[in-house]
Order: sequence, then C-alpha cells, then structure tokens
Amino acid sequence: MADEWNPKILAIICNWCSYAGADLAGGARIQYPSDVRTIRVMCTGRIDMLFIMKAFANGADGVLVSGCHFGDCHYLAGNFKAAKRMFMVKNVLKNLGLEDKRFRMTFVSASEGAKWATVISDVVKTVNELGPSPIAEFKK
Amino acid sequence: MHEYAFFLGCIAPNRYPGCEAAAIKTSEKVGIKLLPLKGASCCPAPGAFGSIDLNVWYAMAARNVCLAEEMKKDITLICNGCYKSIYEVNHILKHNDDLKDRVNEVLAEIDMEFKGSQDVWHLAELYYDPKICGVQKIRDSVTTPLTGAKVAVHYGCHLMKPQKERHFGDTENPMWLEELVDALGCESVQYRNKMQCCGAGGGVRGYDITHSLDITNEKMINLQEVGADALTEVCPFCQLQFDRGQIEIQETFGVSYGLPILHYNELLGLAQGMSPQDLALDLHGIDCTPFLKKVL
Amino acid sequence: MAEKEEARVGVFICHCGTNIAGSIDIMDAVEYAKTIPNVAYADQYQYMCSTPGQGKIVEAIKEHNLTGIVVAACSPRLHEPTFRVATKEGGLNPFRFEMANIREQNSWVHMHDKESATAKAKDAIKIAVAKAALLEDLIPKSVPVEHAALVVGAGVGGIQASLDLASAGIKTYLIEKWPTVGGRMSQLDKTFPTLDCSQCILTPKMVDVGRHPNIELMTYCEIEKVEGYIGNFDITIRKKARGVLSPDEATARGIVGGGCNGCGDCAEVCPVIKPNPFEMGMAPRKAIYIYHAQVMPLLYTVDFDACVKCGLCVDACGDKKAIDLEMEDEFITLKIGTAIIATGYNLMPIENKREWGYKQFDNVITGLEFERLICASGPTGGHLIRPSDGETPKSVGFILCAGSRDNTGNGKPYCSRFCCMYSLKHAHQIMEKIPGTKVYLFYMDIRSFGKMYEEFYYRIQSEGAKFIRGRVANVLEDPQTRNLYVRAEDTLLGRPVEVECDLVVLAAAVQPVDEEDVIRKHFGVSKSQDGWMLEAHPKLNPCGTTTAGVFLAGVCQGPKDIPDTVAQAEGAASAASIPIHIGQVELEPYFAQCMEELCAGCGMCIDLCPYQALALVDRSDGSGRKVMSVTEAKCKGCGTCGGFCPGGAIKMQHFTSPQIHAQIDAFLCGGEQ
Repeated sequence: MADEWNPKILAIICNWCSYAGADLAGGARIQYPSDVRTIRVMCTGRIDMLFIMKAFANGADGVLVSGCHFGDCHYLAGNFKAAKRMFMVKNVLKNLGLEDKRFRMTFVSASEGAKWATVISDVVKTVNELGPSPIAEFKK
Repeated sequence: MHEYAFFLGCIAPNRYPGCEAAAIKTSEKVGIKLLPLKGASCCPAPGAFGSIDLNVWYAMAARNVCLAEEMKKDITLICNGCYKSIYEVNHILKHNDDLKDRVNEVLAEIDMEFKGSQDVWHLAELYYDPKICGVQKIRDSVTTPLTGAKVAVHYGCHLMKPQKERHFGDTENPMWLEELVDALGCESVQYRNKMQCCGAGGGVRGYDITHSLDITNEKMINLQEVGADALTEVCPFCQLQFDRGQIEIQETFGVSYGLPILHYNELLGLAQGMSPQDLALDLHGIDCTPFLKKVL
Repeated sequence: MAEKEEARVGVFICHCGTNIAGSIDIMDAVEYAKTIPNVAYADQYQYMCSTPGQGKIVEAIKEHNLTGIVVAACSPRLHEPTFRVATKEGGLNPFRFEMANIREQNSWVHMHDKESATAKAKDAIKIAVAKAALLEDLIPKSVPVEHAALVVGAGVGGIQASLDLASAGIKTYLIEKWPTVGGRMSQLDKTFPTLDCSQCILTPKMVDVGRHPNIELMTYCEIEKVEGYIGNFDITIRKKARGVLSPDEATARGIVGGGCNGCGDCAEVCPVIKPNPFEMGMAPRKAIYIYHAQVMPLLYTVDFDACVKCGLCVDACGDKKAIDLEMEDEFITLKIGTAIIATGYNLMPIENKREWGYKQFDNVITGLEFERLICASGPTGGHLIRPSDGETPKSVGFILCAGSRDNTGNGKPYCSRFCCMYSLKHAHQIMEKIPGTKVYLFYMDIRSFGKMYEEFYYRIQSEGAKFIRGRVANVLEDPQTRNLYVRAEDTLLGRPVEVECDLVVLAAAVQPVDEEDVIRKHFGVSKSQDGWMLEAHPKLNPCGTTTAGVFLAGVCQGPKDIPDTVAQAEGAASAASIPIHIGQVELEPYFAQCMEELCAGCGMCIDLCPYQALALVDRSDGSGRKVMSVTEAKCKGCGTCGGFCPGGAIKMQHFTSPQIHAQIDAFLCGGEQ
C-alpha cells in the first residue's frame, strides 16, 4: 500500500453511450482524475446487482454505473430496466450501513465527453470526501 | 412577510432619495420587508471597477454578499448597476470554485468568507414573482390608480444582459415590467427600440458625454413619437441619464423634451398614495408636475 | 471449455508513437504484466495496429501456445476488429481477444501524471487479462441479407442514394413525407458557385427516380415502425391518404384508363385556398394541390385537413375517377436489408431572435423565402419585391450567422455551413437582376471553403457588394416608410454603423427536421450534442451509425451543401450495398444462452427482453419442466435478461458472469480470488 490513500472506484459502463462518451473525452483531451477503472458491457441492462455488491464486498470505495439517456438506449430500454435495479442497490447499501453515495448511476451519451469528465470528477470528489470504504478497512 | 437585506447603492440615496424612501415604504405594503444591509460599500460600479480590475470588483462585491450571508438573508436592490455587480459576482463565484478560493484569500484579511449561500434579486423581479408578491398583489395595493397616463418602460441593459447569465427568458422584448406598470392603472406604451441602452452605462457617460447624450436623445425621439407622458425605469443611473440628460441635451443640442422620468418605486409610491413631497419628486431635473396633474 | 485448459494469455502493449508512451511507462507496464497470473507472454511495440505489430500477435500465439490475447492500446471501438483478425490469423478463435483501453480513457485524459496513469494502465491490463483467461470460442451467426434497401427522405441526398443503389441492382424503396420528391433543393433558384439553375439539374434526377425499374417511389408516406436487424429489417410504412389514385392504382380498382394525369381540372374548381408550404406560404394553393409544376410523381394530393368534401373536384375529374374523398391511411410492410436516412433540415424559428424582427416587420425575410422570391417559377415570377408594398428594393441587407455560431442559448452553436455561400449568391442575383441596388452583407467570417468558392467570394466583392464585418445588434423599422435600419458594430473600423435597407434577408441557422427525432429513435441512431444524427466515427465512418445496417446521408448528419450531400449519399449507398451484395452478414455472437439445469422457468426474463427473443419451452430432457429458450436471430445481446435472472441461469456470451466477476476481482483483489 502506498502511504497516501487512493480511492478504488469501479465503473461499469455501456458500450454505446457512456463508453463512447468516455472515448470522446479522450479525443478532446479533457483531463480528469485517474482513480476510476472501467469494465465495458454492451448495455447497463446486463449489470447484475451482484456485480455491484461484489465490488463493494471486495473493498471498492465507490461504484459508478453509466448508460445512455432514457429514450436513447441502443436496446430500447435496457438503461431504464437497469435504473430500476440500481434503486434497489441503493436501498441495500443503506440497509447494510454503507453510505449510498458511494454508488451512483449516471447517463452520459456518446456525444457528452465533457459530461463524462465532470461525472468522474464528481464521483472521485464524493468518494474522497467519504474516505475509505469501511469494508476495505475491515479487510486489511 | 418576506425579509431581504436591502442593498441601497450610491445613486439612489445621493441623487434620488425618493427612490430609497419609496422602495422601503411600497415594498412593505406588498409583504416584503427590507432590512438595512449594515456596513455595505459601493457595489462596486461594474463599468468603473469591472473594466479596470476584475479582482477588486469580485472581492468588493463578494464582501457585500458576505454581509448578507451573515444576516442569512437574500439581497434585494433597486439599481441595475448594483444588480450587475452583486448578482453576477455571486453567480460567478457560486459556479467557479477556483475563483471563489482566490476571492476568499482576499476576504480572509478582513475575517470574512464567501460561502455562496444567498441569492440576489432586483426588487422589481420580486414584485413580479407570484411566489413573493406578484402583479395581483401590486394591483391590490393601489389606492390612487394612475389612470389616464401613457407610461413607457425602460428595462436597462445590466438587468437583462448577458442573457445567458440571467433568468428572465426573452431579453429582446420582455413584457413583465409593462404588466407591473399596467397594474398601477396607467397604460404602458411600446416604442421603437425599447431595449436600447439609456446611454450612461458601461462607462459611456464618463468617457464620451456627447455620444452618450446622442443615444439618450434617440431614445427621447422614440418616446416622443408614441406620446408617452412619462418614462419609468428600475435603475437610478438610467434615471439620472434620462432626467439630468434631458437638461444636458437641451444645452448641447438645443432640443427640449420635458419628459418626466420616474423610478418604478416612485410610480408605485404615487399609486399607493404617497405624496410627491414624500417621494422628493421636486429633486428631479425634469418637472414632474404635468404628469402628476394628469394622474392625481 | 476454457476453464479446463490452463489459460495462457499474451499481453501486447502499444506505444501509439508518443500518444500512449508519452504518459505511460510502457516498459514498467510490460514487466508488471509478466507477473499477472495466467500471463504467458508480454511484449510491447510502437504501433500494434501496424502489420509488424499484428505479426507479433500471430507469431506469439504459435510460439507460446497462447489461449487468449490482450492488447493494451486504443479504444476497442476503434481497433477491436483489427486485432480479432490478427488473433484469428494466429490460429485462435477471434473472440479470444480482449482489449485494454489505455489511450482514450487513460493516456489522453491523464496527460500530466505519468505515475497514476501507469498505475491505471496496469490495472486495466490486469482486468483485461482476467477476462481473457476465461474467454471462450464463439462462432458468429451468419444471417442472409434481404436484397432490398430503404432510403428515408427524397431530397437530393435521398435521390442520389436511391439511384446509386438501384443502379447497382438493388431493389430500393424511397420514402418521402412530402407529396413530391425534390426536397429543399427543388425550392432553390440557383446553386453556388456555378449559378446553375437548381431545378434544371435536379429535375432529370427526379424523373429518373420516378421511372427507374428498381426504385419503388413512395411519396406522402411516413415510417410507422422499424423492427429487426441488419439484413432483415421489417419496416411498417404509413401511406397517408392522398385522396387521389395513380393510374396504376386506378387500374387495380378496375377503372380502365383512369387515374390522375395531372391535368389540374380539380384544383381549378376547388373552393378552398391555403398557403403553399413549398412557396414558404407566399403563394396560394387549393385543398387539392400539387406543390409546383415539376412534381414527381405528377399526382394531385387532397389536404384532408382543409377539404370540405364538396365534391366539385370529383365532378371535374370526370371519367378518370381519380379522386376518392373517402380514402384512408394504409399500412404497408417492407422487408429490407439496409437503410439510409436522409431527412435533411428545417430553418430554425428565427423569429425567436427578436432583435432581427422576423415576423414583426414585413420586410425581414429568410434566405429560403428569398429563394422563392427570386425564382422565375416562384410566386412573383422572379421579380424581387419587398413584402410590405410590392416595391422593388433599392438596398438589401443580408444578416449572416443569423442564429448560427450563437452561444446565447437562444440560437445554434454550430456553423450552418452553407449560408455564407448562398448569401453571396443572393447578393450576386440582386446586383444582376436589379442593377444599381445596394447590397450589404453583415458577416462574422465569410466561410468560402469549397472548390471555386473563394473565387466566387472575390467575384461578388468586385461586383460591388459591401461587406461589413460585425454581427447585427438589432433591426428597427421606420413605421412610415417600412424601411429597416440595420445596426451593427463594424469590427474592422471599430465603430458602430447603421444602414437603411428596404429589405433584410436573414441567413437563418438550420436545424434537424422535427420528425427526425422520431425516425432517429425508430432506427436506434444516437444524437450528437448539437442535435444532428451521430455518425459511427467522425472521420473514418461518417456515413455509418452505431446501428448496423443503417447509414446517413446529407444534412441529417450535420449541415452540408449540395456537393457534400451528394458525395455522402453516394458513400452511404456504397456502404449500404456491401452487405446486400455479399448476401449475408455475421452477427456478433453475443447471444443469451439458457443453462437449463439452473433455469427455474419463472419467465421473468421474457417480459424484460425488448426483442421478444425469449420464450418458455419444454426442457429438452423430457422432464416436462418449462425452461427459457432463446431465438438467437432475434437476440441482440444486450444482456438485460442476464442482468436480472434470479437463478443466474442465463449465460451472456462474451460477457458472462464469471468473466465479469473475474474482472471485478482482478481490480480489487489482485487477480486471484
């Protein structure tokens, strides 16, 4: 472990909108914090609640799920179905006593490179303010 | 009663004390209480300060906001220049953390900190806002309807522009001030190039008085065309330009218009039964008597 | 199964010149990669996508007996197909490849922090290796492609695309919501910089689409529904009630020698008068109408919103029996392989920019209205007049960038691209037709970027047009003379100017047509930030979209002039014809699969599927238990079912739960569980 704590944040994002938006941020060389690691899925609808719970159980300090805007899903409404599930995740986290702010779902389209950078900065800022996840501390 | 910290500005108390009196007395009758913002400085004038050193402009305006933050009250004011400085600096600092930090470094020397917890409103927009007052409440407060007069409206540039950083919707042909004027019983009139500058703002008056009067003169011609009995505005600096400006126009160009200029608060005061003496209308450069004869 | 054999992953890290190597310590990352579990080989190269770079992959697979490949380079959206080919050449199944994005999402966005960018790259490689170790062989499914194409919108772009497709031997359906083909170009008088008559060069093409044996022209039709996928789209078309039968339709109804022949007797007797949208509302039309004399097809149309059903037209039509006032909308289904969207543009509602007085002052008009007023076949027969009094204007002001390049929030931030040039053309036309007329162009910049455009600009300058560089602050009207005062700051002289003009022409910004969003959503095409349709890649795939088999042509993808629109239409037609000519396409094999031993048969996935690809069937072992089954051709691989399945019985190929769990573990636990 380095002396300084760096948050471990996982982002699971959809191929068509948010991943493309993140690529666009790169093309435009918009700089943002480097603490987030991404996993690509075809649609946020693919995301099982267990993926997020597993990430937290393994000590993630924050998790971000990002998909298309409502009405713009490449698969009609996968993002909408995902969003309904993600509300449940928030509730579960609260019941477990974990700050639900550590988990976030956002909607970033393929043309919103700048928004992607803002979202990442925001998420990193929030997690930094919350500090290390208590689960990660416990696991040490 | 909605309570606000009242930022007085410089021109109203020094040149047109009636504006100040009217603001305090008329607002009370429609459910708005103005509390003095103790220790306030100049706003500072957006043209004079903002054009020379933005950092001084930010810091001084932020200091005025800090005073209101200590009172935990939103600021209201009656001058477009003050609005430009205080509203805009408040708005900018709320959206720019780096700049906020820089300004706070300066403010720390006098043990103050800008938090961004309060908003800034022009009193006229509070009058129009149905959540605070609304046109109907204004109409209900009228005891002496100003019937029989055609009153033209001047919004002023600093109130409406830049459009992006304001919240008034249509800034090219707004109509809300007309609604407020109609509520007093007089008839608002439209005239050519309503949104044109009064000629004073942005340092034009200080820099090139002839050009400044040229602009004012054009406004006067357009107002004369539609037969306005008076012009109302919401900014003492515009008022100064139109009022004293007419005397200067007579001296420079040799034309005389004799158009009474009244701040909307003065107009509202008249409609609520305040006497011309209470409103210090005798201190105006242009005699208001013809207008008063028509409406009272 | 992949889990049974020992995974041997090869990792290849790309420098991309200095694009990646500038911010990430490549050698450090290579050394790190060698320590990751399951990594059998790690290497780096300047440009992995180059032939030698790909050769490294091919060689390493053979030499080190690799089972999975990871390339850490740019975005998989760019080069995944490239490296899949290399993986295949090395003898592996192409789906045994995983990409770690260390350029777009790393080196380019963390340019000033090499240490943390390198740390992030190491994690990305670790995560990719975890997935690569679990990748399985997948066989893409081939589906046949319908030998037909659809083109939406019959402006010049749609016409060109249809002609190209049809000439390449493909059955082409051309759909147009207007009663005639031609689009915006048919409204123009002349085209810049050649000053050809717009109608003269377009009409032959309009006639061609009408009589080409491979083109089925469907005017006055709209898209109702789009289903299916590349190669097999099912399109439902609403054929709006036209009230008039074509000769063919009449024959089908048993009316011999009948149907509309365009004689116009009906319109003559029709008592209802409406403004003609083709003439921008400046000329009348009847409730039974054609837009103009050159319409294709030459069929009248009944405006049922305006028609009072008096029946005079039916009598006038006589024995041709072409008019049916009881006609109703019909629905037609088409089966097509690929589609091209060419829906074009509208002018933005420039009256919203109140400072310029459009719709407040009669003598302020738009560029498109000017086109009709100067056109010999327009409402004034080509005599330019000003609307307030019908006088010939002696001074005309043009306001360029009216609503374009406008960041006030009340306009469009983009450049509309063709207004500079058409305003120059307008200036020329005025000076040519009405000698002595003064012409003022108020501009921000003159963007004369095309072939012979700059030369055209010089020509207009030398003809005497006055160019004033400054955005117009406002336009005022003199109530007596109805003349206009245009006020601006001349930014080259640094002083305010006021010019009195008889007529002001606004070069209004363009925006997508209102219905475009509906069509866009029908085809699942994304939208750019500025509201136009989003191309698959701005440079390398400007005609494609993220929906396979759907292509873009013309202004619907972004403002373009006629040459660019035609060029893109030809490109789109070429791209759309490829799958049709091959006759089959490979679908990415990301289908859902049901693991029957885990499926409880609850059926919750069935309602979640947006494509009706899932159903409950009897289990194949004859136990009589119901389990879910997938129709692979319908499944598009979104995974919405797999993300929800309470029993974890749905396996999403290439995005399986064990793979994703391994990725999460790799990031947070260091690779091993």
